[in-house]
Amino acid sequence: MTSSSLNPDQWINNYADALYSYTLHRVNDAALAEDIVQETFLSAWKARDSYKGEASEKSWLYTICKNKIIDYYRKKAKDIVQPMSQRDSSDNYFDETEHWTTENKPGDWGIDYQQSIDNKEFHKVLDGCKKKLQQIQQAVFEMKYLEDLDAAEICKALGITSSNYWVLIHRAKLKLRTCLEKNWINLK
Amino acid sequence: MNLFNISCKKATYLLSKKEENKLSWLEKITLHGHLAMCSLCRKFEQQTGFIILNVKHAHEHTVLSVEAKEKMQRVLKD
Repeated sequence: MTSSSLNPDQWINNYADALYSYTLHRVNDAALAEDIVQETFLSAWKARDSYKGEASEKSWLYTICKNKIIDYYRKKAKDIVQPMSQRDSSDNYFDETEHWTTENKPGDWGIDYQQSIDNKEFHKVLDGCKKKLQQIQQAVFEMKYLEDLDAAEICKALGITSSNYWVLIHRAKLKLRTCLEKNWINLK
Repeated sequence: MNLFNISCKKATYLLSKKEENKLSWLEKITLHGHLAMCSLCRKFEQQTGFIILNVKHAHEHTVLSVEAKEKMQRVLKD
């Protein structure tokens, strides 16, 4: 057997946990992540004859899984008829001259901004903040920064215009930053 | 020199476009000029960079339950 052939009998043993962790990190829902992993194996099984061995078995499975996750983002964004012009009342980051409000201006975090943090508590807060984003903001943010898709791909997948896209990314960052400052930095 | 003055709202908006190299030359100049003067927007850039880095930095390995794996095994066998 060559290294680039499939070994479906071993898929669940070899990849179920890794694909599950990968998916759970992206969809934040255990039952849903389980479904996506299951569908990944099922689609892979059905498509096994078309596997050309160009990618390793592992990266082939990840590609299938990743497409399922993007489908999920797409559905999630569609479920919400987005009132683009409607602002949440809490969104007062800028005053009428468009400068930072005293309330929401970036504070001093006193940390090294280049560091990655392993602390569990921190990731809990960060996940919590992500969940507070509007569904479509979350979808855009995750497709961009977790799936590394670019603006054009995301706009196409979600059926939004590029100006909508930049506004959504901007909003998502403002919210995440403020949320993290309030719930983690200030409690450190 | 109003043309070269942008607000903090606009500057922070442009920062995302900058990440994807989507700034026009005028946007580049105005953003650069704004950041040189505005420590709050510089902080915003650093802090969002930190958030993105840590969102990517995937955390713990989670394990599927044995039941879930058995269920998958059955579905695949069908």
